[in-house]
Amino acid sequence: MFGDLRRFDTGASPGLDWFRNWLDDILQEGGPADIRSVPRGSYPMINVGRTDEAVRVYVLAAGLGADDLEVSVQDNVLTLRGRRDALPARGEEGDRRPCFRRERFDGEFARSVALPEGLDVERAEARYHDGVFEIHLPKREELKPRRIEIQAA
Amino acid sequence: MNEVTRHEPQADVAARERRSLAMRPPVDIYEEDNALFVVADMPGVTRDGLSVEVDGNLLSIEGEMHIDMPEGIAATYAEAQAQRYARRFTLSHEIDTAAIEARLENGVLQLRLPKKEMHRSRRIEIRAA
Repeated sequence: MFGDLRRFDTGASPGLDWFRNWLDDILQEGGPADIRSVPRGSYPMINVGRTDEAVRVYVLAAGLGADDLEVSVQDNVLTLRGRRDALPARGEEGDRRPCFRRERFDGEFARSVALPEGLDVERAEARYHDGVFEIHLPKREELKPRRIEIQAA
Repeated sequence: MNEVTRHEPQADVAARERRSLAMRPPVDIYEEDNALFVVADMPGVTRDGLSVEVDGNLLSIEGEMHIDMPEGIAATYAEAQAQRYARRFTLSHEIDTAAIEARLENGVLQLRLPKKEMHRSRRIEIRAA
C-alpha cells in the first residue's frame, strides 16, 4: 500500500518524473485541498487504507510509546491527541551547545481525519510497534461487499 | 538514458523505482562538548531495517519501514508516500567515525558522533595579570 502512493501526487504519469515531483514539492497545489489535510511533514503522519472488511489508519508517530496517543472517534471523525518532546530537557554531557537543525516536531498535537461512513467503531482495535499505531476499524456487516449468485433461468 | 531503460522489463523498473522512493526523515542536530548528536524520526523502522553507514566523511542513514498491511489494501489517504527513509550528511574531520553510537527507540534514531580526543573543548583559564 505504501509503495504505490505516489499516484496521489503524480496522477496519470507514474513514471520517473522527478522534475514534476520536484515542482510539486516547491509549488502549492492548485486544486482544492481536503479541509483537514495538512502540509507535508506534519506530525504525526497519517495514512488511511481500505480493504473489503475494514478501514485501517496508520499513524506514524515516532517517539511516542504505546500509551502516549489518545485516539477517539466522534461522528465519524477520528481524532488523535498527544504530546511529543523532541529532545530531552538537558544534555547528558555538560552544557548543550548550538542546535544546527530543529526539524522534528516538539510539543502537543491534535489531528483529525474524516472516516468513511459505516464503520463499527465499537469493534475498533489499535496496535503499536516502533512508533507506528495501526488502528483497525471494521466495516459494519451490511456494508461489506457481497457476492451475488446468478441463477440459471 | 532512455536508450538503456527501454529494454528493461517493466516489473524491474517498477521495483527499482519503489526502492528509490524515500522520505527525508526530519532531524534535530545539536552539539555538546564532546560529541555531536543527530536525532531522526523514522517511525516503523525496526533494528533489522535500519542501516547507518559511514563512508569516508559521508554519513548515510537509511531505514525500511516494517508495517503489517493486509492483502488487497488500497490507500485512500496518504501523507507518508514511501516505505523507506534516507538521508545523508557530510561529517567534519574531528568526528571519530569509529566510535559512532546508534540507538533506536520507538521509531526515533539517536546517533552520537563523538569528537576525537584532541578536538574536545577545553576550558581556558584566565589568570589575573
